[in-house]
Amino acid sequence: MSGRKETVLDLAKFVDKGVQVKLTGGRQVTGTLKGYDQLLNLVLDEAVEFLRDPDDPLKTTDQTRRLGLIVCRGTAVMLVSPTDGTDEIANPFVQPDGA
Amino acid sequence: MSNLLPLSLLKTAQGHPMLVELKNGETYNGHLVNCDTWMNIHLREVICTSKDGDRFWRMPECYIRGNTIKYLRVPDEVIDKVQEETKSRSDRKPPGVGRGRGRGREDGPGGRPAKGIGRGLEDGGSKGAGGGRGKGGPGGKGSGNRGGGRGRG
Repeated sequence: MSGRKETVLDLAKFVDKGVQVKLTGGRQVTGTLKGYDQLLNLVLDEAVEFLRDPDDPLKTTDQTRRLGLIVCRGTAVMLVSPTDGTDEIANPFVQPDGA
Repeated sequence: MSNLLPLSLLKTAQGHPMLVELKNGETYNGHLVNCDTWMNIHLREVICTSKDGDRFWRMPECYIRGNTIKYLRVPDEVIDKVQEETKSRSDRKPPGVGRGRGRGREDGPGGRPAKGIGRGLEDGGSKGAGGGRGKGGPGGKGSGNRGGGRGRG
């Protein structure tokens, strides 16, 4: 409701910070957020794509591909999160769904 | 009479922990910070679980696009809260005097003559003479007569 069309997440705080972006279809990219618009199109600098296991496209591998400066189309953006503070962890659920 | 709207429930669930499963099978557990009418969601203190449930990530926050969501699990107590809220809302507004929502008047066939005629000729069949899509959106705030505002300038 403020300024631009109401956004749930204010991406302004991520500008010039590292973000992780998941795209529809399964690609996963990290980069430095340089800009964005209200359609969630993103400009990422020094973007790196995490390649996926060819046998199991659900799994990302450690292999990466350097993409450089990219524009992510908003409609393809599924998820945005800061890379800062994002880590892989051990199973935090004591019993994975005891029911 | 009482209809529990999914998005009202979601709105009420702000601040509560919840689980979001995406269409790709990944799940996200976190506290709902905010959501909008597209079901776009902002979560805080998130744990992401891979589809097969054997890898986990924690992230301080994340933004999830609404159209990738398969379902959400919300805590039971939210439903009590939402019922309170809808009750107090209906108390405050007496039923039956609603000004109606949506598209305003449909002026019979032919529709909106003021806009329709002149342009209908040039535009031919592309959208039909009635002014195309009008506004129609879910809000219906801008009482009826703004209908044609969005035509094709």
